[in-house]
Amino acid sequence: MQDSTKANLLAAWRQRKRNLAHGWYKFSRNPLSVIGLVVLVLIVLVAIFAPYIAPYPGHAKAYTNFREASQAPSAQHFFGTDRIGRDIFSRILFGYRFSLLIGVVVLGLGVAPGVILGLIAGYRRGTWVEVVIMRVTDVFLAVPPLVLALAITAMLTPNLINQMMAIALVWWPWYSRLVFSLASSLRNEYFVKEAELTGASQAHILFREILPNCFAPIMTKMTLDMGLVILIESTLSFVGLGVQPPKPALGTMVAEGAKRLPAEWWSTIFPALAIVIVILAFNLIGDGLRDVFAVEDV
Amino acid sequence: MAKYIGLRLLQSVFVLFGLSLLIFFIARVVPGDPARQALGLLATQEQVERVREQMHLNDPFPVQYYYWLRSLLHGDLGVSSYTRRPVTTDLAQYLPATLELILFATLISFIFGQVTGVLAGYFRNSWFDGASRLVSYLGIATPAFVIAILLLFVFSQVLKLAPGIGRIPIMMQAPPARTGFMIIDGLLAGRPDVTLTALKHLLLPAFSLSVIHIAQEGRITRTSIVETMQKDYITLHRVHGINTRRILFKYLLRPSIIPTVTVMGLDFAFLMSNAFLVETVYMWPGFSRYAMTAMLNKDLNAIVAVVLVIGVTFALVNLLVDVIIMFLDPTVRLRQGGA
Amino acid sequence: MPNSLSLLEIRDLHVGFRIFEGHLRVLTGVTLAVHEGERVGLVGETGCGKTTTVKSVLRVLPIPPARVTGGEILYRGRDILRMHRHALHVLRREELTAIFQDPLQSLNPVFTVGSQLRDIVRDSMRTPEGKSLSRREIEARCIQALEETGMPDPERIMSNYPIQLSGGMRQRVCIAEALSTTARLLLADEPTTNLDVTIQDQILRKLDRLVDQKGSSVLMITHSMGVVRDLTQRIYIMYAGSIVETGPTRQLLASPKHPYTQGLMASVPRLTGRGVSEGIPGRIPNYLAPPSGCRFHPRCPHRMPECSVEVPPMFDVGADQRAACYLYRRSPS
Repeated sequence: MQDSTKANLLAAWRQRKRNLAHGWYKFSRNPLSVIGLVVLVLIVLVAIFAPYIAPYPGHAKAYTNFREASQAPSAQHFFGTDRIGRDIFSRILFGYRFSLLIGVVVLGLGVAPGVILGLIAGYRRGTWVEVVIMRVTDVFLAVPPLVLALAITAMLTPNLINQMMAIALVWWPWYSRLVFSLASSLRNEYFVKEAELTGASQAHILFREILPNCFAPIMTKMTLDMGLVILIESTLSFVGLGVQPPKPALGTMVAEGAKRLPAEWWSTIFPALAIVIVILAFNLIGDGLRDVFAVEDV
Repeated sequence: MAKYIGLRLLQSVFVLFGLSLLIFFIARVVPGDPARQALGLLATQEQVERVREQMHLNDPFPVQYYYWLRSLLHGDLGVSSYTRRPVTTDLAQYLPATLELILFATLISFIFGQVTGVLAGYFRNSWFDGASRLVSYLGIATPAFVIAILLLFVFSQVLKLAPGIGRIPIMMQAPPARTGFMIIDGLLAGRPDVTLTALKHLLLPAFSLSVIHIAQEGRITRTSIVETMQKDYITLHRVHGINTRRILFKYLLRPSIIPTVTVMGLDFAFLMSNAFLVETVYMWPGFSRYAMTAMLNKDLNAIVAVVLVIGVTFALVNLLVDVIIMFLDPTVRLRQGGA
Repeated sequence: MPNSLSLLEIRDLHVGFRIFEGHLRVLTGVTLAVHEGERVGLVGETGCGKTTTVKSVLRVLPIPPARVTGGEILYRGRDILRMHRHALHVLRREELTAIFQDPLQSLNPVFTVGSQLRDIVRDSMRTPEGKSLSRREIEARCIQALEETGMPDPERIMSNYPIQLSGGMRQRVCIAEALSTTARLLLADEPTTNLDVTIQDQILRKLDRLVDQKGSSVLMITHSMGVVRDLTQRIYIMYAGSIVETGPTRQLLASPKHPYTQGLMASVPRLTGRGVSEGIPGRIPNYLAPPSGCRFHPRCPHRMPECSVEVPPMFDVGADQRAACYLYRRSPS
């Protein structure tokens, strides 16, 4: 590698480090966001190491023990046991696995096509390409996401894969619309015109020129969306359209426990709290990110 | 202005058309035999075949769609394979109950959201602001069904403050359903006691529905108020001598409400979605529960009808929101209608 | 000792901004005064802290990240910086008025001009007997105010929204608003900078005449020498957060003493006479790590060793004229 190129790369890397430090400074101005980040890291760790941390890993599978059923929280069972004797704490730990997994997969499946379609539609605004893409987007957005996800999941067999596909199918149009408005305003910027003049391929323009400038809003939205996906997933599970028992999904646990209120409050309250905490963490981080990317004028 | 509305309506029609195609396609692609579903396990194969012919299930897809569209335009949405009644009858019975709930929830979330948002924004960084921030974070992060269960648990079972499930007490006789809105029907039948009870029964479920929206709208209002307060023109209003009450309720409020109203359109959609959760918990005989039942039972006609109704409502609400914004914000109005 | 005739007195004002990279020392010891009936100019380049000064007087600085780290702002003897909120509201309403640089930001976009003007007149004017004005009187007063600023067809303007008006018309509305109150002190922050060159002059003259009529005092902030020459009696020259020279306008412009002022005068292009105007070499300092001592010394052609040690105080350099420069050390003020 030539020396000048090496120097450029080094300078670029240093600039990136500086930007990161600057970003962290802004993020850390919000103590709540930092708390959210800490909580999320804890949850992720807990989810990854669930088989090793959970006191009763076997309870996350088919397990019944009526002698231990419906016990209040105690030293042996931190969050008590449910109707058929399973330790709620362990199940929550495994439940987090599902929630996080679904969130990651759904966003992975849904965001990429949405972003790509939005880029194309925005760049080629005013042509039939844009019209087709955006009308299809409109159709998917004509109905609230939860309803559509419910409808689709209900009509297919309820299981993990279908649940993820349904939510992903419902999710991509939001990104399509977001990136569309970003891309259509960016396509007139000078650096895009420059790239066009020097004969850059369309792929290059879309992905190396326009996309990096959309990075910030996409990141913020993805973080907030993680919380929303988990919310929808827990709702689907609550209704019975999600991961089927005996697999531990947080929403299902709430539904099972709800029948026994107010007596065995622990079988509802703890899974409900678990849901709230993880969604809250994502929301706090998302807010912090929004502040990081916000333009200041001093 | 009228031209704009007309254009938007036309757009909505196209979108709804596309939506109907989409949902129809999904409904037909799904595994399972709707005819068998309708008749039940005990029907013979010939009976199933006959019904299949009737429902045009053996015809190619575009033909099926054509028949369905034709019936739709005649006001016939088919028969529900679950309730065995025309879907339109089901809708007429259940839709008003949900609408009553949603409208009440919208009202609550608007009032509470605005009040908390304005106070939090005006008294920025005060204890009220901090407290409402925390509460709104929780409100946004808590799924609707959790809230519904919690509220029912706390207020109805533990504190015994509010009535529990249903629209009116089981013992009470319902008034003739003229509009379907219990509150109005009670008055129309000359029975204000029904109206009163109905209102009381509406409180908890409507409130459960509105919590997340109070949180969200409150925060948006707060941010909007804070932003507006920093604008030059507000400083100048103060300096020029306009009295504080007028500044607060007129000059500060109007520019700040606009982002909230925009969000309310979207929130209405979420209200419709979350309504079924609340209806399930509170045993509310509403449209969303009907929709859920339809979906769980693969009641195709009902599912398609339900999705369409929601789509139409959503489109209308969005249009309404846009019109209201045009009214509130002259910059939008001038860009669209006149100049 | 407060001058008994002074309306506004800023004493040794220090304002800083806290940002990621550190602490920006924006204002370092600003001292100026506006007396009753006076027209005072505050001249300086973009970025020297003029707007921050105005915002401090009105107390509308965004308090985090900004911070007032020292000094006082006295209005008729009372310190604005330490007033309670209510007293501050009353002060702003009854004594101060302002015109800002960007007329579009200065008017509420969702209300008509008439709506805003009427409310101003309604809330700040009373009849000689002390009663509030009737609807017709308010309307007449508004039309009159607009006419006085040279606005054609005031009735139509009243029912227009700000975005429907041109920049010049908007600024005239702002002027009408500013002068419709009982205020005694007008703070004008670059009122014509954003307008077309062709109407700048016109609007300034109008403003001048109206202020005269009303007998208000003015603190006119600008970066243009031309503006101050015609409109002010006394000026302050500001550089990088502090006052470097002050004196009666004509006198100072005729014989500037501070090297920065001299550089500014030399930069003004001349239509006749010789040669191209020369700018001042160098750039404005970095507020994070400003030069020690006199902030101008890195660019000063008359730089001396003591200039980088300590900030020079104001020295007398003529009749009522003072400059902060060690060149004039012989006569401390």
